[in-house]
Amino acid sequence: MSVPLFRDKTRPFGSDAALLPLSQLGAAAIVTGILDTDGELAVHGSVLGRINAERFVLCERGYVEGDVVARDVHIGGRLNGRVFALNVTLGDTADVSGRIFHNTVTVARGARFEGRMPWRPTSYFEALDQLPETRS
Amino acid sequence: MTMFNRNDKAGDTSATTTATPTPAASASPTPVDAKRPQAYAQPLAAQPSSGAPSVSVISKALKITGQLESTEDIQIEGEVEGDVRANSVSVGPNARIKGTVRGEQVQLSGAVDGKIEAKKVVLTRTAKMSGDVIHQDITIESGAFIDGHCRPEFGKAQPFKADKSNAA
Repeated sequence: MSVPLFRDKTRPFGSDAALLPLSQLGAAAIVTGILDTDGELAVHGSVLGRINAERFVLCERGYVEGDVVARDVHIGGRLNGRVFALNVTLGDTADVSGRIFHNTVTVARGARFEGRMPWRPTSYFEALDQLPETRS
Repeated sequence: MTMFNRNDKAGDTSATTTATPTPAASASPTPVDAKRPQAYAQPLAAQPSSGAPSVSVISKALKITGQLESTEDIQIEGEVEGDVRANSVSVGPNARIKGTVRGEQVQLSGAVDGKIEAKKVVLTRTAKMSGDVIHQDITIESGAFIDGHCRPEFGKAQPFKADKSNAA
């Protein structure tokens, strides 16, 4: 599957986050498959599969198993898989295992992380149109 | 050093707080004491419930390829390629679903290419339904488009199957 990543390259990132169309998955929701959006996605439930968003927020009780590709990512829940994002924040309730490909990262005190956090230049994310096979 | 200082300050603040209520307590002793623990307890109780909404919203910019399930309500304005199952499913006017929609209640204003299985089905005037509707209670507004069968068999399908399997 070749889903274009970071489609809107002209827009400076983080500029109008409030204007992005917001989608949310409730606490009882379970998605198996691909979630693809140009806007913001907040997950309180579970996702097994792939997430492609402009801005992605994994809330405290949320769970994701799979790859996340977004410009900005905030993780407050449980994630097992890979993250490809320019800006990543791990909140104090985050529990992540896998890899976080990032340009900037913030980890709050109390967050749990197991795995690797490879740094990549901005150009890497802009040129990214297919995810590398680096499953650890 | 700071930790010791903090302990001292905590002692000081508690001393001042205990000192300040006394003039207020003389005016109205019980209401002040009753209000304070409530004010502290409310945010603690409110945070977990407000932090996890039960409703799911699929915005117009979101496309799901795969299965979407919830025991609560789902509102779809975007695109779903796959099955949707929830207590109550609301499909917005510009939404498109390719697959089966199951639920107790389904309100369709958008397009479904597949099947609807629900106890209560509402097709509004902007609905476009291509496929069968299995329902117990159906509302079709003027202007709704249906290409398929409407069968009032919701909840009956499983007993029929059970009878057939017993007979065979």
